[in-house]
Amino acid sequence: MRFLGFLTRRIVGIAAVMVGVSIITFAISHVVPADPVAAALGDHATDQQIEAFRAEYHLDRPLPEQYLTYVVGLVHGDLGRSIRTRRPVADDLFDSFPATIELSLAALIVAIVVGIPAGVWSAISRGRLPDHLVRLASLVGGSIPVFWLGLIVIGLFYYQLGWFPGGGRIDNFVAPPPTRTGLYVLDSLLAGDLEALRSSLLHLVLPALTLGYFSTAVIARMTRSSMLEVLGQDYMRTARAKGLQERLVVLRHGLRNALIPTVTILGLTFGSLLSGAVLTETIFSWPGLGRYATAAAIALDFPAVLGVTLLAAIVYPLANLVVDIAYFWLDPRTQRG
Amino acid sequence: MSARRSSILFAIALILAAACGPAGTSGTSGSPGASPSASAGGAASTLVIDRDTSDLISLDPAVLYEFSAVFATHNVYETLVKFEGTDLSTIKPGLATSWDIKDTGSTNDITFKLKSGQKFASGNPVTADDVVYSVQRAIKLNKSPAFLFTDIAGLKADSVKATDPTTVVFSLPKTASASAFLTILTFTIGGVVDSKEVKAKETGGDSGSAYLLDHSAGSGPFVVDHWTKNTEVLLKANPNYGGAKPTLSGVLFKQVPEPTNQQFALDKGDIDIANNLGPEQIAALQGKSGVTTTTADSLQLVYVGMNATVKPLDNVKVREALRTAVDYDGIVKDLLKGNGKKVQGIIPRGLAGYNEATPFQADVTKAKALLTEAGETTVTLDFLVPTGQAPGGVAFSDLAAKLKSDWAKIGVTVNIKQTTTADLLATYRAQKGQLVMIYWGPDYPDPDANVGPFTDYKAKSIGWRNAWDDPTIAQKGRDAALITDPAKRAAAYKDITDYVLHNGPYVVLYQPSELFGLRSNVKGFNWSAIGWAELASVTK
Repeated sequence: MRFLGFLTRRIVGIAAVMVGVSIITFAISHVVPADPVAAALGDHATDQQIEAFRAEYHLDRPLPEQYLTYVVGLVHGDLGRSIRTRRPVADDLFDSFPATIELSLAALIVAIVVGIPAGVWSAISRGRLPDHLVRLASLVGGSIPVFWLGLIVIGLFYYQLGWFPGGGRIDNFVAPPPTRTGLYVLDSLLAGDLEALRSSLLHLVLPALTLGYFSTAVIARMTRSSMLEVLGQDYMRTARAKGLQERLVVLRHGLRNALIPTVTILGLTFGSLLSGAVLTETIFSWPGLGRYATAAAIALDFPAVLGVTLLAAIVYPLANLVVDIAYFWLDPRTQRG
Repeated sequence: MSARRSSILFAIALILAAACGPAGTSGTSGSPGASPSASAGGAASTLVIDRDTSDLISLDPAVLYEFSAVFATHNVYETLVKFEGTDLSTIKPGLATSWDIKDTGSTNDITFKLKSGQKFASGNPVTADDVVYSVQRAIKLNKSPAFLFTDIAGLKADSVKATDPTTVVFSLPKTASASAFLTILTFTIGGVVDSKEVKAKETGGDSGSAYLLDHSAGSGPFVVDHWTKNTEVLLKANPNYGGAKPTLSGVLFKQVPEPTNQQFALDKGDIDIANNLGPEQIAALQGKSGVTTTTADSLQLVYVGMNATVKPLDNVKVREALRTAVDYDGIVKDLLKGNGKKVQGIIPRGLAGYNEATPFQADVTKAKALLTEAGETTVTLDFLVPTGQAPGGVAFSDLAAKLKSDWAKIGVTVNIKQTTTADLLATYRAQKGQLVMIYWGPDYPDPDANVGPFTDYKAKSIGWRNAWDDPTIAQKGRDAALITDPAKRAAAYKDITDYVLHNGPYVVLYQPSELFGLRSNVKGFNWSAIGWAELASVTK
């Protein structure tokens, strides 16, 4: 019951955030000192074409009326028409979002699978070589620019060594799997298409490592510091005194308690992965939301920018909602309020 | 073991088995069995082109006006007349075998006789009715390229008629240039669509535009197999093509925006052509085995517009001084690394009427003298510059810095204001710029596509933006457009371009080149400056 109330409050909160985000983004995108018509029609457009374009996108109306038109469309599931692609924004998002979700999830898996063990290893080896190595790698991961790392990774693992493909989601001459979720790996599995699965997995490796490196570093450092805190607690000494194996002490009693702050970071990390995808997707020719957002921003394609922002405004709180639900599982105290 | 755990383990095993399979590449490897290109004959005979295709909006010839779409669909739709190869000065027969221009008194009528036996990819014959339908469809849809028919050629829906199954007559108003119209017909908007097929695909009175967005109904050497948004366009050979059959079974345009990635993929042999290389990538590829690099003309001109009503730019001698002071050779050699040509007239090299004169080159003494004659010794002006790369692969900011330095030598100070192209255009269109750097490419490969905008104030284009109202030269431009005799027309444009060279409000900086990287086995790739290559004659 308490959980249901909590869930309701969060969903109402998400709706409020979306209204706020839509107003702010709409206002900002319409008061920037640049003309989307010039961006869309370019140097050669005639006055008649410009007027027709303004009318088509309601740019000739007062700003409040434009917003009202937008909101009415939004309520009917219409996110407007992209100025750049001339397609409904909802269709564009539907095409590009799964690619970003797939990349972000893969990066998140990298961050969890590498970051948490590295953090634990570093904490239990405090002051020794493994600790120094993990801290150094975390420092580099936290400070290295994604676009630079992406180019280096492509140069080394694709161009020099030829271990992985350099870009795109699947090989040129392999058919994408039939779309069910839009996630190529999952769709290949569902279709039982091993060729597509192999190709899409290989294509995921370099962008996921590039995008996930920063998050891996953050999670490793967070896990290390919370593990160090937990390792010094009385209940850890008690567990050892009971004669439990060190592995069980660390993993069952230590890690579970140390994971709470790490889980918080994971929610935020997923959000940062979505924004980090902007650069990663451009470097790796990944046809996702990040590349769509970049192209939209450059073209002053405000309906598309609004659509992407609203989508992000849903995804961020949803990721945090998942984190909060994870708290319920990880820490029984939160269930008692 | 629980069922859930078993299924998870099975999925992991499947993933590992797949990932441990033979390594593929993003290029030409992979199993052709399930591939989208299998129907086009597989990897070996499919030409793979890496290109930034993010500009694609539609593949419908009546709608598209974007560079990537023009390149792809030029190979899908045939036109009544065409340019062959890289030559943009001689109109050749296309679907029409001959054409005749007749002055009827009130109009200029152009009669085209169609080649017999031509077929669309569907197998339907190409008829005069298809031509009429295609032109009327473009006018009705009224999308981006429609102004070429309606504004430049002055066509209305009833201006085109089929008098018999192989004869089409266009009636042009006397104010429209027949020469310019013929060049417009060579462009993608002149592509003839299969009216029977398109009518069958119409939904909600859309004239089939939803279908032609990512399908095709043409008679060219290739057909559109699929367009996966943000990923790729695949063309496959048209078995019913009436011309020499392409040896390629297909052409795959991959959406790869990063030039460095294109360079890597080309060097590794994963692609056949890299279409968006800059000077750095070309330098890195030179000398590599299995790779060749090539340059081709573009029809763009990078220029600085000078507002002719802003003091002291209203004085023709000040404008001449600014032109005279610029180190054009330095721009081409040092900044562009040779990736452009010194052109100073308003018609680019490659178009009829091109004027070879390049009288200006960093003459500080003469420029200072011109300023003195104008009564100006120190001049300060705002210089509006776009962000990003200029055509030819040099940053606009580097070009601006070079010009600032050149002009400082004659006592002209410019305050560089860098902004987005969209923002710059808004200022430029409102005649609020002082010095504005930008570039221009013609809408159709005819000198009128440059001379009109650069000289005719009433056209509300470049001349208007620079507040340069010279009715005499504007009228000369309009008259030249109507001349049908090529020699007389060339002479008229020589006269016009000579005048604009010294009196106009422009510093034409250079004409950029386009850079391509090709695998050595790719033969017959000839890039036309208008923005396409005829892929039917390419082999690999």
